Amino acid sequence: MIDTSVQLAPSHVKGLLLKNPVITASGTFGYGMEYSQLFDIQKLGAIVCKGTTLKSREGNPQPRLVETASGLLNSVGLENIGVEAVVRDKASIWAQWHVPVIVNIAGENMDEYAQVATRLEGVPGVSGIEVNISCPNVKSGGMECGTDPKIAAEVTAAVKAATSLPVIVKLSPNVTDIVEIAVAVCQAGADALCLINTVRGMTLDIKKRRPSLGTMMGGLSGPAIKPIALYMVYKVAGVAKVPIIGCGGISCAEDALEFIMAGASAVQVGTATLSKPQAALDVLEGIKQFAEREGIGNLRDIVGIARVQ
Amino acid sequence: MKQVSAKIISNTEVMPGCYLLCAEAPDIAAMAGPGQFVMVKCGDKLTLRRPFSITSVTNSGLYILYSLIGKGTLWLTQRRKGKELDLLGPLGNGFYIEPATKNLLLVAGGIGVAPLVFLAQQAIGREKSVTLLLGARTAAGLYPTKFLPAGVQTVVTTEDGSRSRKGMVSDILPDYTDQADQIYACGPVAMYQAIAEQIQKQKKEKSIQVSLEIRMGCGLGACYSCSIKTKNGMKQVCQDGPVFDMNEIIWQEVKI
Repeated sequence: MIDTSVQLAPSHVKGLLLKNPVITASGTFGYGMEYSQLFDIQKLGAIVCKGTTLKSREGNPQPRLVETASGLLNSVGLENIGVEAVVRDKASIWAQWHVPVIVNIAGENMDEYAQVATRLEGVPGVSGIEVNISCPNVKSGGMECGTDPKIAAEVTAAVKAATSLPVIVKLSPNVTDIVEIAVAVCQAGADALCLINTVRGMTLDIKKRRPSLGTMMGGLSGPAIKPIALYMVYKVAGVAKVPIIGCGGISCAEDALEFIMAGASAVQVGTATLSKPQAALDVLEGIKQFAEREGIGNLRDIVGIARVQ
Repeated sequence: MKQVSAKIISNTEVMPGCYLLCAEAPDIAAMAGPGQFVMVKCGDKLTLRRPFSITSVTNSGLYILYSLIGKGTLWLTQRRKGKELDLLGPLGNGFYIEPATKNLLLVAGGIGVAPLVFLAQQAIGREKSVTLLLGARTAAGLYPTKFLPAGVQTVVTTEDGSRSRKGMVSDILPDYTDQADQIYACGPVAMYQAIAEQIQKQKKEKSIQVSLEIRMGCGLGACYSCSIKTKNGMKQVCQDGPVFDMNEIIWQEVKI
């Protein structure tokens, strides 16, 4: 039997120990309970819940979805119930689960990130925080705070100061140099990195002569972005001193193994869940079968194994 | 809600470009109510499942009426009898019949008849009286009455007058509202707006349930892709709907 356990926050006092490296990605798995009728969600390595803000948000106008070649564009716009409702209605359920739940947080400014993290402090059922630094920063003129190393580091430091939970920072691929951002957030105290978030893109409706999405542009996910994500994980793994969670177009075990061999300690499955609800468990099962076939006793042995020195 | 692999019993074109598919899915059929839907995986190449209203159920299977409009439905038309179909359902909040209701008025525009057939089936099973106003652009686009449950009184309109009365179902609606205890509609948004205007003119308080169609991601309330703003706040069409009280709807939010 392969040892699939993974410690995602080795330098953190509480740590974030997962029994396996397969996590469901934020935004595609709700608050976890939505899928509990369909398969045993307790078998997952972890669940990352819907992006959560200080106040509830209505999100963007319709249409919010367009299917693209091997992918999906979305502009949901962080519609969510707000941190109070998460603490009140969801966390008490999570507290009864074996599977750790990580809350993905977002804010319109630095204070909001810190306030959401503060509100989650000491809440039973919350095992970690994933910081979405890809949302528009109102204070800096709508620019994504994840695109500026200095602001990204400030957000990370603000969340770290507000919580005693392990902090994962989810990076945006919509930057000139993701390594620079990764280094900055690591220095600011990130316990782990997750990459990548969606890639900006658009499609047009030629009959209506307008952009297909209500917000003109959106975030591309799915198999179409996998090579982009893999390359970024590979690059960042060369410099990051903290565990990396690979995310972007992973829909089968082979995809996940590529990320692991590129240097990711764990993976997130997102868009694939929409058509195959149990996709994450299939990925896990496939990883185990691969390990058995290849005589791999510990998954850690193949993390980053494909890296060219 | 279940995810099942269902064998296709039949899949035939019943009107030009419209198909009626029957799949063996007793578990979903047993749980399903009118107005609910299933998410169908249309092959391995498409990122999203496709949502379809359940058109009717039997002891062992369910029927889906769909029109060929894109890649997903094209794949579906090519799926032959005996092949397996990956279904997720039943999903969503369906139509509700008040126990005291005696007369149901169903208003269908084109393919919008799909979920109303199931509603008629249930209502007749409960010994209610069902009147269906069935409208289409042309006679060819009318759902064949032989597929309707026995006992449904059907009134037909066509926009070009090629069958029965020329016009839209909303034109003849005022003649039928008086006797209706509850009204149910499914069709394009323009039809809903016409119905809303007619009812307003009559100055009568009538409960009208409508089924909305929108692009969906997960189908079960997890991804928030199908949310719309309503008079009662944000609602997920896949989970809070697809059936809503017409009074809740803000038209510009669903005209997409």
